[in-house]
Amino acid sequence: MSLQVKKSYNSENKYWYVELSGEVDVYTAGQLKDAFTNMIEDKKENIKINAQDLEYIDSTGLGILIGTLKRLKEKDKNIILTNIRSNVKKLLNITGLDKIFIIEE
Amino acid sequence: MIENQLDEVKLSVPSKPEYVGVVRLTLSAIASRIGFDVEKIEDMKVAVAEACTNAIMHGCRCAKDSKFNIDFVSNGEKLTISVYDDGKGCELESIQDPNLNEPKEGGLGIFIIKSLMDQVDIESEEGKGMMIKMIKYLGDDI
Repeated sequence: MSLQVKKSYNSENKYWYVELSGEVDVYTAGQLKDAFTNMIEDKKENIKINAQDLEYIDSTGLGILIGTLKRLKEKDKNIILTNIRSNVKKLLNITGLDKIFIIEE
Repeated sequence: MIENQLDEVKLSVPSKPEYVGVVRLTLSAIASRIGFDVEKIEDMKVAVAEACTNAIMHGCRCAKDSKFNIDFVSNGEKLTISVYDDGKGCELESIQDPNLNEPKEGGLGIFIIKSLMDQVDIESEEGKGMMIKMIKYLGDDI
């Protein structure tokens, strides 16, 4: 029941690369929010999230992604999600958020 | 015909975010014991966590040791999960479906619960707290 956020900035292609592993719920959501806030304050660039090891996310986590995307959109930047597990994908589908974030297979 | 036996598990949990994971694990164990498949267990994990989050965020936070309750009842063909608190409740009419043209940070929880469970009843009375009762059937989706 924990979350690991591993972030790095790709200065060549100007994007943040984030590896999420574990679970995002009401307990760990603050940690994710802080990580995104720090990244955006540093550089407002696209955020590419590798969600291969993201086992679980719920509306608190999705809310943080939405809030982060809103701030990125001020500079026409995006959130790109890759390697999403089927349970996470299902949640993005039913909420329609798969049309708001960029989903890469 | 022999009537299906009702198995009941009751939890009373501190209204603290760190306990939502504990409820999720408990739900997984109970649902797996009853014979639900992995996909349905994943659905229920999210739905139950959403209801718990709701109880923690909107329930009674006035008392230092406030708690909320979760009842799991199974009769062999379905699992009924009730999450209730003694918070201030809310006006059910104010719960709206998400608008994709204007995505908001909050307000997805109830929508997600309704999408993932087979049957959902929400009762709320101002001053009396909120109860989210949700059912998942063991058989094919209805």
